[in-house]
Amino acid sequence: MARGKAKDGDGNWKKFIWNSEKKELLGRTGGSWFKILLFYVIFYGCLAGIFIGTIQVMLLTVSEFEPKYQDRVAPPGLTQIPQVQKTEISFTASDPKSYEAYVKNLEKFLKDYNADQQTENIVFQDCGDTPADYKDRGPYSDAQGQKKVCKFRREWLENCSGINDPTFGYRDGKPCILVKLNRIIGFKPKPPVNESLPPEVMAKYNSYLIPVHCTAKREEDADKIGTVEYYGMGGYPGFALQYYPYYGKLLQPRYLQPLVAVQFTNLTYDMEVRVECRAYGQNIQYSDKDRFQGRFDIKFDIKSS
Amino acid sequence: MEESYELGPRGKAPAPAPAPKGRGRRKQEKLEDMKKEMDVGLVEAVAAERLLRDGPNELRPPRGTPECVKFGRQLAGGLQCLMWVAAAICLIAYGVQEGEGDRGSSDNLYLAIALIAVVVVTGCFGYYQEFKSTNIIASFKNLVPQQATVIREGDKLQINANELVVGDLVEIKGGDRVPADIRIISAQGCKVDNSSLTGESEPQTRSPECTHDSPLETRNIAFFSTMCLEGTAMGLVINTGDRTIIGRIASLASGVENEKTPIAIEIEHFVDIIAGLAIFFGATFFVVAMVIGYPFLRAMVFFMAIVVAYVPEGLLATVTVCLSLTAKRLARKNCVVKNLEAVETLGSTSVICSDKTGTLTQNRMTVAHLWFDNQIHTADTTEDQSGQSFDQSSETWTMLSRVVTLCNRAQFKPGQDNIPVAKREVIGDASETALLKFAEVTVGTVAEARGRFPKVAELPFNSTNKFQLSVHEAGERQLLVLKGAPERVLERCSTVLLKGQELALDTQWREAFEGAYAELGGRGERVLGFCARWLPAGTVAAGTDPEALPEVAVGLCFAGLVSMIDPPRATVPQAVLKCRTAGIRVIMVTGDHPITAKAIAAAVGIISEGSETPEEVAARLRLPLERVDPRQARARVVTGAELAAMTPGALEGLLRAHPEMVFARTSPQQKLVIVESCQRLGAIVAVTGDGVNDSPALKKADIGVAMGIAGSDAAKNAADMILLDDNFASIVTGVEQGRLIFDNLKKSIAYTLTKNIPELTPYLIYITASVPLPLGCITILFIELCTDIFPSVSLAYERAESDIMHLKPRNPRRDRLVNEPLAAYSYFQIGAIQSFAGFTDYFVAMAQEGWWPLLCLGLRPRWEDTHEQELQDSYGQQWTFEQRRYQQYTCYTVFFISIEMCQIADVLIRKTRRLSLLQQGLFRNRILVIAIVFQVSIGCFLCYCPGMPNVFNFMPIRFQWWFVPMPFGLLILVYDEIRKLGVRRHPGSWWDRELYY
Repeated sequence: MARGKAKDGDGNWKKFIWNSEKKELLGRTGGSWFKILLFYVIFYGCLAGIFIGTIQVMLLTVSEFEPKYQDRVAPPGLTQIPQVQKTEISFTASDPKSYEAYVKNLEKFLKDYNADQQTENIVFQDCGDTPADYKDRGPYSDAQGQKKVCKFRREWLENCSGINDPTFGYRDGKPCILVKLNRIIGFKPKPPVNESLPPEVMAKYNSYLIPVHCTAKREEDADKIGTVEYYGMGGYPGFALQYYPYYGKLLQPRYLQPLVAVQFTNLTYDMEVRVECRAYGQNIQYSDKDRFQGRFDIKFDIKSS
Repeated sequence: MEESYELGPRGKAPAPAPAPKGRGRRKQEKLEDMKKEMDVGLVEAVAAERLLRDGPNELRPPRGTPECVKFGRQLAGGLQCLMWVAAAICLIAYGVQEGEGDRGSSDNLYLAIALIAVVVVTGCFGYYQEFKSTNIIASFKNLVPQQATVIREGDKLQINANELVVGDLVEIKGGDRVPADIRIISAQGCKVDNSSLTGESEPQTRSPECTHDSPLETRNIAFFSTMCLEGTAMGLVINTGDRTIIGRIASLASGVENEKTPIAIEIEHFVDIIAGLAIFFGATFFVVAMVIGYPFLRAMVFFMAIVVAYVPEGLLATVTVCLSLTAKRLARKNCVVKNLEAVETLGSTSVICSDKTGTLTQNRMTVAHLWFDNQIHTADTTEDQSGQSFDQSSETWTMLSRVVTLCNRAQFKPGQDNIPVAKREVIGDASETALLKFAEVTVGTVAEARGRFPKVAELPFNSTNKFQLSVHEAGERQLLVLKGAPERVLERCSTVLLKGQELALDTQWREAFEGAYAELGGRGERVLGFCARWLPAGTVAAGTDPEALPEVAVGLCFAGLVSMIDPPRATVPQAVLKCRTAGIRVIMVTGDHPITAKAIAAAVGIISEGSETPEEVAARLRLPLERVDPRQARARVVTGAELAAMTPGALEGLLRAHPEMVFARTSPQQKLVIVESCQRLGAIVAVTGDGVNDSPALKKADIGVAMGIAGSDAAKNAADMILLDDNFASIVTGVEQGRLIFDNLKKSIAYTLTKNIPELTPYLIYITASVPLPLGCITILFIELCTDIFPSVSLAYERAESDIMHLKPRNPRRDRLVNEPLAAYSYFQIGAIQSFAGFTDYFVAMAQEGWWPLLCLGLRPRWEDTHEQELQDSYGQQWTFEQRRYQQYTCYTVFFISIEMCQIADVLIRKTRRLSLLQQGLFRNRILVIAIVFQVSIGCFLCYCPGMPNVFNFMPIRFQWWFVPMPFGLLILVYDEIRKLGVRRHPGSWWDRELYY
C-alpha cells in the first residue's frame, strides 16, 4: 500500500509551511487565517463570557462570611509553632545558631499576642482569666460591623512567653512549643467526657476547657520525655471555650487563637524522642490518614554539644 | 521445476528395454521390480519409511510469525511506546522520591502500575482479536480428512490422503479430488478440472501418454487438489505435500507481503500525529516548567502527565471493537473477514474485479432457450424454478423433448428423490446435466421415459463427429435420436418438424435455422441441435458396432435447437446496479469465451443497456475498427491474447477510456496485471478468486475475496475475506457495511478525541496558573478506559445518515478518517466547551468549600507542601495537608463528572455529522442509550462506592455538582445543531468547509 506515498516528504513539508505559489502559510492563505482566527476569537470570547458569568453568579450564592460547606475542613487540625520541616526539632543548647530559626519563628508568631497589640477596646474584649463558656456574637454577617475578639495574654505562657527568656528555653535544652487548634468558622469544640481521658489530663479538668496533652509516641520512650510543663489561660493546659466560635477573617481580622505552650524540661539528649500531642474533645477526632487531625507528632533531637 | 518431474515414456509405446548386460541387467531387475510395484503397489514398510522421510502429504500452512512476536508487536505500537515512557518516568520519579525519603509519593508508583496494566491489557485484547481471526481460517482446513484409494502390497485400501507417499499406486475416479501429483499409468475416459491451477475451465483429458515437456501441459500428470470429473485412472504418486505444483504456488504466494489496509494506514497516520503532538505538548510544557523554576523531576512528571492526558488510551480498543462488531455482522451475511481492517477497506473499494463463474453466475449450465416451430422459446433459468415456462402444446416439442430425454448419457445419482431437481447430483458433463435436469423438470421422470424406450446402441460424443446418437426400441419401430453441434446435425437432416408436420428442409428453412443459431450463439449460449428418425424394427441390432451407426443416421428430421448457459444469479443484477450507484466499477475477469462473457456482463448490468463496444460502434457507423473513437464506446471486451500484447500503459489507457470492461479468456496471471493497473490509477481494488493461481492477485489486491464453496485453500489463505455463499451480492453488502463503519469510526474517534482537551487543560492551567490540580492521571485513565469505552463503541451501531450507497467511494488520499475539521472541531470547540464546564464545576466545588477562584491562582506551591498544616482559605480557616488532599480528590471527581456529563452530550451530537439529531432519532440506537446509562452508573459507582477515595482518588461529591456542567452539555447540543443546520443549509460555504468533518 506504500504505492500512494511518493518520496516527496521533504518538499511537502516546506510547501506546507509556506507555499509561495498560493501564498499559503500552514495550508491557509492570509484571508483564510484571518477568518478562522476571527471565528475562534468570537467563539472563545463567548465561552469566556459564559464562564466568567457563571463563576460570578456562583460567587453571588456564596456568602462572604461563612463557607457553604465545611465537611472537608472539620474536624480541625492541631498544629504547633515553631513550624518545622519534617516535624523535627533538632538543636544544640550551647549553640544559639542552631535554634535561632525556631526562636525567630516563635517570636514572630507571638508578636500578635503582645499586650501592646491588644489595646484597642473596639476590637478586643477581656474574656477573663479562667475558662468560660462559648461567646456567641450573633449572626455571621457584617450587619453589626466587625465582631470583638477575646484577648489572650502572652504572660499566660509564662516560661514559654519569651518575655523572661527570649530563647524560649532552648538555650537550657528545655524547648517550648506552642500548640493551637486550626481555625474553623463556627466550630465549637466540645469538652471531653471525663471517663475517656488519661489521668494526667483529668487532674486539671475544667468543664470549659479543651485539654491538650503530650506523651511519648512510643511506649518505650515514655521515660525519656521527662517532665512536661503546660502553660495556658489561667494556668490551664488547654483551650478555653470563650475563644470559640471563630467568625472568619472578615469579621474577626485580628482573632487570636487560644494557645497552649508545652515545655519539655527534662528531655533525654542525643537521641530522637518522638512526642505526640493531642487535643481532647467530643468533636475532635483523630484519623489514621491525617496525622494532624486533632493531634500531631514531633521529634526532638537535642544534642549535648 | 520441470527437471524434478519424471514424465514417463514419451509417445505411445514404452521404449523397448535394452538387452540385459552388466549394469543394464541390474537396471533391468530394477525395472522388473518397478513393474511389479505397478501392479501390487508399495510395501507398507517402504511406505512408512518414505512417509517419515518426506513428511505427510499435505500443504504446510505458511509459517506464521511466532506467537510471542505477535504479542510483542501488540505491546510496541506507537502509543504503547509513549505509555511505556510515561510509566518509566513515573517509576523513576517514584524511585527518586522514595530515595529522598518523601512519603506520600506512592501515587507515582500506582500510576506506573496502572499505565503498564493499560498497555498489557489492551495488548492482550488486540492479541486475542488477532488470534480469533486466525482461528477462523484454521477452521476452514481439514474439515473432512480426504480419503484416497491406494494399492499397497496388492490390496486396495482406503487411507487418509495425507499418508500417501511417493511411489504409491493410487486409483482415482469421477468426483474424487486428486490426492497428490500423479503420473497416470492407465486411464478410462478420465477428465480433470484444472481450473484452480491454470484457470481453464474446460475439462481436460488425462491419459498415459506424455504429450508435452512441460508438466503443466502434458496429459499424463494429474495435479494435487484438482478434481477428477469423470472416468477412472490409475497413477503413481510422483510428488507429495509442499513439493507438488500446487504446494509450490501456495508457498510462492505466501511470500508476497501483505499490503497494508487503508484503515491501518489511516490509524497509523493518526497515531503518528497524536504521538507527535503529545510529545510536542509535553516537551513544551517541560521547558515552560523548567523556565518557571520547577525542579527537573517535577517537570518530568508534568511531561508524563501531559502524555497520559493527551494520548487517547482507549482509542485502539474502540477501533478494534467497532471493526470486530462489523465483522460479526458481516459473518452473519456470509462474509467471513479474516483481517479485521479489511472490513473498512471494503468500504473504500472503488473497483471490483469479479470472476464470472460461480460468483456472478449460478455455476451450473441451464437450458436457456429453445428453437422449434421457427420460434425462440425461453426456458426458466431461475435458481428455484420460479420463472415462466413456455408453450409446450406443440407436437414438435413432444418430439424434441423425447430426443432430449433419450439422447443423453447423464443420470441422477440414486437416492435423491426428495431433493429438488435443481439440486440433485448428476453423473455426466455440464451440458448433459443441464439437459437432463431440464427434461426432468419439463417433461417428467426421465428414467421412466428411458425405460419405455430401451437403448439398442449408441455412439458417444467425440470431437471428430461432434455429435452423439443412440437408437431405441419404440414398440414396433426403432427411434434414432441424435444431438450435436447444430451445423453437423443439420448436415444429416432432410426434413424439419413444424407443429408435428414433417416438411422438406428448403433454403428458407436453412436461413431460419442460421438466423436462430446466430442469435442464440450471439447471446453467449452453447447451442445444440436435435433430430430424430423413425426406423423400422430391427434396423439396428443390439450389439452393433457404434462406428457403424453414423451410416444409418442420414435423412433425419430436424426437431430443434436447445441453447444452454450458466445463468446469472438472481441477486446479481441488483447488486451490480447498487455498485454502479455507489460509484464502484465492476470489472469482469473470466477465463470464458468473450461472447459468453459479454452476454453475462450485459445480463447482470456490468455492460449497461445502450453501451456499445468499439466493434459495435464500428458496425453501426460502418467504420473500420481502428477509426472508432474509444470514447464513443463505453464498453469494451478485452481478451487475454489482446492483453498479453498490451503494455501496462495501454491497459491503463483502456481502463480510463472505457468505464465498462470485461476481460475474457484471461489467465489468472493476467488478473494480477489488471489489478495492478487499476491500483496504479489510484483505485482501491477488490478481487474475487477461487483458484490457486488467483492467490497472487488476491494478495496484491487491496482486498482479496475468496470463495467459500469453490475456493481452494490457497486462495482462502491469500484472501482477506471469504464469501461463504460465493455470491457477488454479498460483496456489495460488505461494501455497505464497510462504508458505514468508516462513517461510524469517524464519529467514534471524534467522540474519543474530544475529551483529550478537557483532560489536558487541567495540567496546562495547573502548570501555568499554579492552581491546585483539578484532574488526576488515574482519573484520566478511568475516563479513557472505563466510562467512555462503551459509548464510543455504541456509535458503531449507529445507522447510516443517508443512503451511503449513493455516494462515491472515498478517495483514500483526500477523505481521511481523521481530517483537519474533525480534529479542530473536536479539540478546539467541543473540547474547549468541555474544559470550561470542568473548570466551572471545579471552581464551584472549590469556592463552596472555602477556596475562592482568585485565591486558587498561584496557590499550588503552598497547597502541595506536605508540611503546611495550617493553610488559610478565603475565610481564614486553616487546612491540614490531608484535608486539602481530599479536597483535591473532590476536585478530580467533580472534573470527572463534568467531563462525563459533557461526553453524554458529545455522544449524542456525534450520532450525526450532517443531519439534525431529531431527524436521526434520539433514542433509535438502543445500544447508545444503554451505553449512556452504563456510563452514568459507572460514574455513580466510582463516586459513591465506599473506599474509593483512598484507592482510586474518587470522592463522594455533592448532588448539585452534577448539575453545574449540564448547561455546558446543553450548549454543546445546541451549538452542534446550529453547526449542522449551517452545514445543511449552505453546502460548500465557509461554514461547511471549516466545520463539516
